[in-house]
Amino acid sequence: MTDDPTKALEQAYRQGATDNDSWSGIPCQGVYGPDDLSELDYQEALGDPGQFPYTRGIYPDMYRGRLWTKREVCGFGSGRDTNERMRFQIANGVSGLSIITDNNGSLGIDADHPMGITDAGTQGVSVSSLADFEELFAEVPIDRVSIAFDNSGLDAFSWMALYVAYAERHGIDPAKLRGTVQNDTLHFLYCGYGDSCPVDLGLKTSVDIIEYCTHHMPLWHTGNVNFYDLREQGLDAPQEVAFGFGNAIEYTEKALERGLDIDAFSARRSFYCSAHIDLFEEVAKIRAARRMWARIMRDDFGAKAERSLQFRFGAHTAGVSLTAVQPLNNVVRVAYQALAAVLAGAQSVHCCSYDEPIGLPTETSQGLAIRTQQILAHETGVTRVSDPLGGSYYIENLTNQIEARATAILATIKEQGGMGTAIRSGWVQRQIDEALLLREDEIEKGEKTIVGVNEYRQPPETETPGGFHAAPEGQGERLAATVRKLRAERDNAAVAKALRELHAQAQLGERHNLIPAMVAAAHANATIGEMLGTVRIALGHDYDPMGVLQPPAEIAA
Amino acid sequence: MSAAGTAPATEDRAVRVLLSKVGLDGHDRGAKVVSAMLRDAGMEVIYLGIHKTAEAIVRAALQEDVDVIGLSSLGGSHLAHGQQIIDLLRQSDCEHLPVVLGGTVPVEDIPRLEEIGIRAVLRPGSSREEIVGIVEDLGRRARAAI
Repeated sequence: MTDDPTKALEQAYRQGATDNDSWSGIPCQGVYGPDDLSELDYQEALGDPGQFPYTRGIYPDMYRGRLWTKREVCGFGSGRDTNERMRFQIANGVSGLSIITDNNGSLGIDADHPMGITDAGTQGVSVSSLADFEELFAEVPIDRVSIAFDNSGLDAFSWMALYVAYAERHGIDPAKLRGTVQNDTLHFLYCGYGDSCPVDLGLKTSVDIIEYCTHHMPLWHTGNVNFYDLREQGLDAPQEVAFGFGNAIEYTEKALERGLDIDAFSARRSFYCSAHIDLFEEVAKIRAARRMWARIMRDDFGAKAERSLQFRFGAHTAGVSLTAVQPLNNVVRVAYQALAAVLAGAQSVHCCSYDEPIGLPTETSQGLAIRTQQILAHETGVTRVSDPLGGSYYIENLTNQIEARATAILATIKEQGGMGTAIRSGWVQRQIDEALLLREDEIEKGEKTIVGVNEYRQPPETETPGGFHAAPEGQGERLAATVRKLRAERDNAAVAKALRELHAQAQLGERHNLIPAMVAAAHANATIGEMLGTVRIALGHDYDPMGVLQPPAEIAA
Repeated sequence: MSAAGTAPATEDRAVRVLLSKVGLDGHDRGAKVVSAMLRDAGMEVIYLGIHKTAEAIVRAALQEDVDVIGLSSLGGSHLAHGQQIIDLLRQSDCEHLPVVLGGTVPVEDIPRLEEIGIRAVLRPGSSREEIVGIVEDLGRRARAAI
């Protein structure tokens, strides 16, 4: 860069494309032609949209039939705070809801846990008991809207129990509930929650959810295998697909071991993918994933039902690609990423708010994220045609390349004995750590341009455009006080009885489903910390994942 | 804001830094990257990991005789956690020990963190040069002041 404006203009004018490898390091030619696809068999490799192997999409009519579900992840403060924001979202035209719990909830501890009071409600909604669900869902017609729970660890288990109890309390048949629980306990190990959800316990509770919902909640998606969080750690696109499938295969095998029929539960499995910044690579990634999943399900698991073979996915634009400096630039990044998701045929989309690297979204920033989806849906015309990029020499070639790379990684995982083993041996963590430093290195050396960070810098902002979300003073203390009040006022004999029953049932063996006992405890106003602690201790883990609290007398060994 | 050269030269021992995260926020990517950067720059880094109490961090910092404490905060509790650490350092008569905080912090909160006594705030996108320069400089000054 030069300070001379004339020279700068000349340099800018003459500048060519600088980065000719894809974001994942796949070398790209300047142009692709028929020779690059000479071996492509249309029926075998692509099929029409809605036809095996679903490379071109899972529905024949795609968005002409129904647009993608527009969701915006929501959760902060109390149930009431989050309920208000959900109403704001509904008023502004979202078509589904998506709720995220705070760190306390994710870890499986209550708002009054001594280590969690300051942080309660800061990164999601604080939920310690059924009373919080009463606030959270006040006047939300849960039998008529689709709700996604972004709960992945043991919190998936506690939230499902609370949700079923909430529905029952309000006279709603759980069989009518539509939505998704993320329930991806394996990936949770790489999301910054330490070992709060041990592998064996996570797999048990994940399969309990799959089994329970298969029998009692046929409209509910029992898991949304989370590619997104893996990608956020710095993994590339083929790794995202391979690691995600590694986890998905593990759950599928465990559910089969439980005695479920492959087609009985696979119809309600789904995926949650990153929509990153490399537009064509992201589209190719999803197309490759659809083809791979259809073949894995048919050939490895003998699935036959169409819904079992289909890779249904929600997309989350890439938080990690956003910058804290020049934050309005993020609006543009998010729009491109959402475009990638839709060109790839997403079933639902979450657009990050531009202030994601600064804090939780404000109404202003989240409102803009909703509008971003609406402009995409209603102004750009991208909804007209299914798989609009299908048949592009480049896209088909890139789809093949990502599939080949992801398949090779998946083979490495299988050789190790599957994802469970690869996780326990530390192999997965090493891959993530390596990728993380590689990404950092690329940015630092300028191999990847991040506008505003390593190019086109400007003096830092002195204020956040549109303002920023700050947790109100004393929020954690107030949330903790609510739980203490509940403990003081509820029927503690009933709680103790429910927890003793849960503890007893947890000892009936791995195959015994604990959701009904969890639901009973939820009805008795047990807290999530108590319920999960009871399951933890019955299955040989510490009562408190943070190692601070002692188990209550009624369940102590 | 650079660099090591501006601080008075003291003994040749590498600057020792303790990095950690207070409370429940588990976004540890930044803390891991910064740990690697500081190590590459020749500093001794003790990465205490996630889910630590302020007490545990200050205790470890004093036991390990570090020159700088680095806090990573991406959960929105930077003001509360920063205050807890500074208060504990005061109670231990160690307020000379500089604390650097990095993470998702609104620019509006930077003066508030500085008022609390945080010596530098590093937001996402800070360069290796900036990060290494600031930590090294604060570390050398802190040691020279003893």
